[in-house]
Amino acid sequence: MGRIENRIRRLRFDHNEMTQEELANRAGCTRQTIIALEQNKYVPSIELAFKIARAFSVPLEEVFQYEDS
Amino acid sequence: MAPLQKRALISLVIGLALAIALIVVFVTRDINAYATDLGFRLIVYALWVGVPVVYLLLINLTRLTKLKQVDERDRLIMDRAPKIQWLSVIFTLVVWYTVLNDLYWDQGQLPVVYLTLILISTLVISALAESLGILIGYWRMNRNG
Repeated sequence: MGRIENRIRRLRFDHNEMTQEELANRAGCTRQTIIALEQNKYVPSIELAFKIARAFSVPLEEVFQYEDS
Repeated sequence: MAPLQKRALISLVIGLALAIALIVVFVTRDINAYATDLGFRLIVYALWVGVPVVYLLLINLTRLTKLKQVDERDRLIMDRAPKIQWLSVIFTLVVWYTVLNDLYWDQGQLPVVYLTLILISTLVISALAESLGILIGYWRMNRNG
């Protein structure tokens, strides 16, 4: 079974060290969900994934990657 | 701690306190006096209405009025919580069935007050189990993802 990885933490730092709170506000979720995402303990819905990518102004694939195991 | 998780924890603590108070009232007073003692009945009504009200205020109103505090992950956890609720309710009914059968089988009849107690305990357990289900949902998600 594959695994979905993300680069949210890296992208936050690349975007002037955007805080988790700020990203959560932009993506319309709670800070706890951003924390869970960064720890790879939650896989977001397609809608939230797009919102996060939009918050960084990057394509979806730059934030989330599907990795075969 | 997520806002919903905090509310679930608070409602579980308050609900447990009310449930314990309910048990204490029944243990310290004569159960047969329930039918005749109005004061006894009023205390019990206040306590068992209190648990669902606490649950309603702390958990359900969060979902309805403060949508910013509840996102898709919280909703996923809330949607899974009823599994714990159903298991708890079924377990409660099985316990009542077993205990009352054992105690009253020979007499062939039950004191009517037990019908009230079964209803009260099922409602209280149901409310507490939803809070517990939410907390278990967060714990499992933080542990396993």
